[in-house]
Amino acid sequence: MHTEATPAQVDVSDLELVRRCQAGQAEAFDELVVRYRTRIFAMIYNMVHNEQDAWDLAQESFVKAWKSIGRFRRHSSFYTWVYRIVMNVTIDWLRKKQIKGVGAEFDDAVQMKEIDPASRTVPKADPLPYERMEHGEIRARIDRAIKQLSPEHRAVILMKEIEDMQYHEIAETLGCSIGTVMSRLFYARKKLQNSLRDLYENI
Amino acid sequence: MKTFEEKWTAWLDDQLSGRELADFEASLPDKAAAQAEKREAQKLRVLLKQELGTQALANEEFFSHQLRERIARERATDDASRWSWRRGRERSATSTWWPVRRLAWSGAVSLAIFVICAVFILRDKNPAEQSQYLTQILNARVDPVISPNATISIFETREDKVTVLWVEGLQSLPADYAAK
Repeated sequence: MHTEATPAQVDVSDLELVRRCQAGQAEAFDELVVRYRTRIFAMIYNMVHNEQDAWDLAQESFVKAWKSIGRFRRHSSFYTWVYRIVMNVTIDWLRKKQIKGVGAEFDDAVQMKEIDPASRTVPKADPLPYERMEHGEIRARIDRAIKQLSPEHRAVILMKEIEDMQYHEIAETLGCSIGTVMSRLFYARKKLQNSLRDLYENI
Repeated sequence: MKTFEEKWTAWLDDQLSGRELADFEASLPDKAAAQAEKREAQKLRVLLKQELGTQALANEEFFSHQLRERIARERATDDASRWSWRRGRERSATSTWWPVRRLAWSGAVSLAIFVICAVFILRDKNPAEQSQYLTQILNARVDPVISPNATISIFETREDKVTVLWVEGLQSLPADYAAK
């Protein structure tokens, strides 16, 4: 059983594996897949909320990474580079799904107007709802709240809060400025706070 | 210049320090409310990490196996398409030149056939035989020594291939015409 390593621990080895991949060693790419498959799958799953879709998108992301690894110049970490591919694939998929009218409707436009940046909502008086809810229900509530975010806001909040990525890494992954990342984080957090306050209030 | 949203986010994530931190905190109208908001953001982070950070990939080995097979298929397809692309390119290099050359040849041959046909048709339509006699007669007429008062008229029916010469005042026919 392989252990999933954090980006900081595997950075150097990753680049060595990348070098071997570029030299045509398929086994080196296999090793990179083993290192990141679980995290990438979890990240995509949290974006799309469907196991089969997440599996397919993770596969597609790795195939794209394999195809373009020859062009990877090793100026950034492999982790950031592959996350960029993952995010492009996933956000594209979510956008297409939205256009087809199958998926959730993102309400970012409404959100910008509705949220007062310095607002703080009064906690609800319901007694310990977090304790009353089953684990599955909590997860479903969180998934629903995340579904209300645009793909870009989802990506930012998940990379920051779950992956503990730095602003510049997120910016590099999404191909935007650090300021944009911070701004998206601000609105995504506000939105989630409004939706999930009763869940975390009594933690 | 950072926007309020950027500063707020940086403050929540403890990314502000020194003068920047002091300036931002001084600008907050209600520092207690802001601190409460910060605690909320931390609780949200804990909740998200707790609930979303546990999604495991079932059948990890099958995932890798499927990926290996897919990459192998993609490589085979790429190789095949690269080969067919190269073949196609070679073929297209030939096929691009061939129609041009064939077209030029076809054009030249058609032009030659047209010219040959045109020459034959024009030659057939030329009434050379009829004017041959007339020229001889007229030549004879203008000779003042032989026939100074001669008049010659010609009647011709081309459909019946008949030509009638009406000659007056001729002393004698030209010797070469009479011989025919």
